[in-house]
Amino acid sequence: MSRRNALRLAGVAGSAIAAPAALAGCGTAAGAAGDGTLRVAQTADPTTLDPHKQGDMVSMNVLINIFDTLTTRDVRGRLAARLATSWEARSRTVWRFRLRKGVHFHNGERFDAEAVKFSIERVLDPKTRSPIVELRYVTSVSVVDRYTVDVHTKLHDPILPAKLSLFGGVVVPPKYIAEAGDAAFARRPVGTGPYRFESFRRDRQLELSANRRHFHGRPGADRLVFRPLPNPASALAALQSDEVDLVTGLTPDAARQLSGYAGVELENHPGIRTAYLNIDTSAGPLRDRRVRQALNHAVDVPLLIKAVLDGKAREVPAMIPHGSVGFDESVEPFRRSVRTAKQLLADAGHPDGISTTLAASNTDGQVAEAIAGLLDRAGIRARVDLLDPGTFSARLTSDNRQALGPLYLAASTVWTLDGSSMLQSNVRSDRRQSRWRSKEADRLVDAEELSMDPDDRQRAFTALQRLMKTEAPFVPLYQQDNILARTTRVRWTPIINGSLAMEGAEVKPR
Amino acid sequence: MSASLARHIATRLGTAIGVLFAAATLAFLLVRLSGDPVKQLLPPDATAAQEATLRHQLGLDQSTLAQYGDYLWGLLRLDLGDSLVYNEPVSQVIADRIPATLELAAGALVLSLLIAIPAGIYAAMRRGRAGDTGVMTAVLLGQSTPPFWIGILLILLFSVQLKALPASGYGTFAHLVLPAVTLSVYSIAVIARLLRSSLIDVLGSDHIRTAKAKGLGPAKVVLAHGLRNASLPTVTVIGLEFGGLLGGAILTEQVFSWPGIGRLTVEAISHRDFPLVQAAVLFFAAAFVIVNLLVDLSYSLLDPRVRDRA
Repeated sequence: MSRRNALRLAGVAGSAIAAPAALAGCGTAAGAAGDGTLRVAQTADPTTLDPHKQGDMVSMNVLINIFDTLTTRDVRGRLAARLATSWEARSRTVWRFRLRKGVHFHNGERFDAEAVKFSIERVLDPKTRSPIVELRYVTSVSVVDRYTVDVHTKLHDPILPAKLSLFGGVVVPPKYIAEAGDAAFARRPVGTGPYRFESFRRDRQLELSANRRHFHGRPGADRLVFRPLPNPASALAALQSDEVDLVTGLTPDAARQLSGYAGVELENHPGIRTAYLNIDTSAGPLRDRRVRQALNHAVDVPLLIKAVLDGKAREVPAMIPHGSVGFDESVEPFRRSVRTAKQLLADAGHPDGISTTLAASNTDGQVAEAIAGLLDRAGIRARVDLLDPGTFSARLTSDNRQALGPLYLAASTVWTLDGSSMLQSNVRSDRRQSRWRSKEADRLVDAEELSMDPDDRQRAFTALQRLMKTEAPFVPLYQQDNILARTTRVRWTPIINGSLAMEGAEVKPR
Repeated sequence: MSASLARHIATRLGTAIGVLFAAATLAFLLVRLSGDPVKQLLPPDATAAQEATLRHQLGLDQSTLAQYGDYLWGLLRLDLGDSLVYNEPVSQVIADRIPATLELAAGALVLSLLIAIPAGIYAAMRRGRAGDTGVMTAVLLGQSTPPFWIGILLILLFSVQLKALPASGYGTFAHLVLPAVTLSVYSIAVIARLLRSSLIDVLGSDHIRTAKAKGLGPAKVVLAHGLRNASLPTVTVIGLEFGGLLGGAILTEQVFSWPGIGRLTVEAISHRDFPLVQAAVLFFAAAFVIVNLLVDLSYSLLDPRVRDRA
């Protein structure tokens, strides 16, 4: 072991420990994997195995293998059929889904329209206490025939099919739940997915086995094991000592420190987690559009990506990430120029620059410090205020829109791959995280959220992105790659929404 | 057991219950100051109505006083409530962690004692000489090195390079070795240093001079006459160390993915999982109270003066 390696690995340990968000109750049992077993490390265990009672990606990553959703994303990020084979908007408030025939749950129970109705209504039922919020416009589900359902909504919800590709789209077995009860279902979940549930010892491992009767055929691995390893350095050590085959969810920072280790392959794939600075446009010098534009000219995003993220991200010109509905290639990012930024500040009456505060979660400390450095070159002196992730998210979702100060660094995972999810809580002036009052923006948000015609929606998105470039209520930054480390036994391409659907993963025998 | 000893124990038990009640109340109040669990459970784009619904379902829309009343009533019935995040009874979530927590704490403590006691005695007997300096430098180094660093180095050596021990996980004796070694390093230092200084104090006292004058060998003097007198402060510190090991192994648990209660608590705090945090604090308080009680009682075995006073 070289001293350099030890220092690098210990550096990762240090950065992980500075990130309480990554802390999670965990532990694994070692044990040799037989041929065809795929062992995946995640930062934590699922919080629950009842898919309707969780709303976090770590849980979803496990459950997406046991259950199927109505729709899904293919490897190129396109919305694709899963339990629903086709769908169409029948009217402004009715989406019709035609369902796959001949599908059975792992216990033999038949999948049909009743199961879909039961599942969606279970999410909506207050008694379920579901943290899944995307189906907020859905009022009811009606069964048209055995393999057709209509989903009724209060308002037109143009992206409902995309919203059914993860959390809210999971279909559960009505008879099994009625007979066994919710608690037993959470202990022994039964789905239609490519893997069947075998066992779960919290903090040690969760074991699934191949569902040979799955409608896509037998999945790539005989057994799929999830192990919770909260510390990236330990996860990598587990990878090197053959205790796991695949480590996901690595930060660019961790990945950079891990690259070059023998027996480990690092891969990065396009991701959707989109980072930006939110500006309080209601107070101080930031009320002036020119000052906000100066911020955008000053933050050299390509340099930030290269220097801090090791190139493992892609610049986002105007809040909506590449690969999402609403993205418009013709909207270009700000030209990065310190001189232009200084000129704009001078024009706005601040020839000596301004002082402000940049709040961020301490997990994003490096990026925040780098941004402050870039701003400083243009005379914008931003004091970086790093908060523990719990405090940060409490303030982010607080009813006080000024709780994080004039400027904060945030990121959203737009797993619906639709621009409206990114803009949902940030843009329209009445939404909880919006700090921008613009009648035109409100009108355009309404147009994209409520329009039935995809072309109308795209026009509204394009106009909105142009408006955001003029008014500069944000500093859009980048979308982060999905980074994974694996042994050479495993081949797997993640989908852009970042979920760990392992159906297509191949495992080479030892 | 004499009546006075029984009274002594009863007083200690009464104090213990008072401490637990105070800890329960503090945990209840402090965790409510830390933030809103509803905001943590729902994604940022949840609407106010969705938040209000969940808040009502979790009973968090009641007044703090009403929630406190419910909580105390639950405690009396030994019902700690359900975890907001895991949707399981909190007692179950905690109970699942207790074996691993005890195993790691006990493993680390045994290892600490096996190394610290001989090291402390050796250093005291060699006071001011090279052996003393060597041992004390080594333990000082251990005391000042962060456990995650030691843990990572051990993993790199024993798991990645030598492939002799598992890098993470729980279940067999092999899994225990590296975390227990990592965790013991600090305790070894604390116990060895304290034992050395107590022993040096005792070795300068009159009864030791008398023992030496009787013609006893140095080993007999130290072990039979010195150690027993030097053990009182050491036993107190060992008790505190064990209490600390039960709840304070967060970094070690993190590095070795050990399913202990320390990390569970940190995670529960970050999720604002009120019932789980409250129960974990109660567990730590109870662990300390019990260990202290045992330490107190052991005094009367070790020191006849305490027994007589009682």
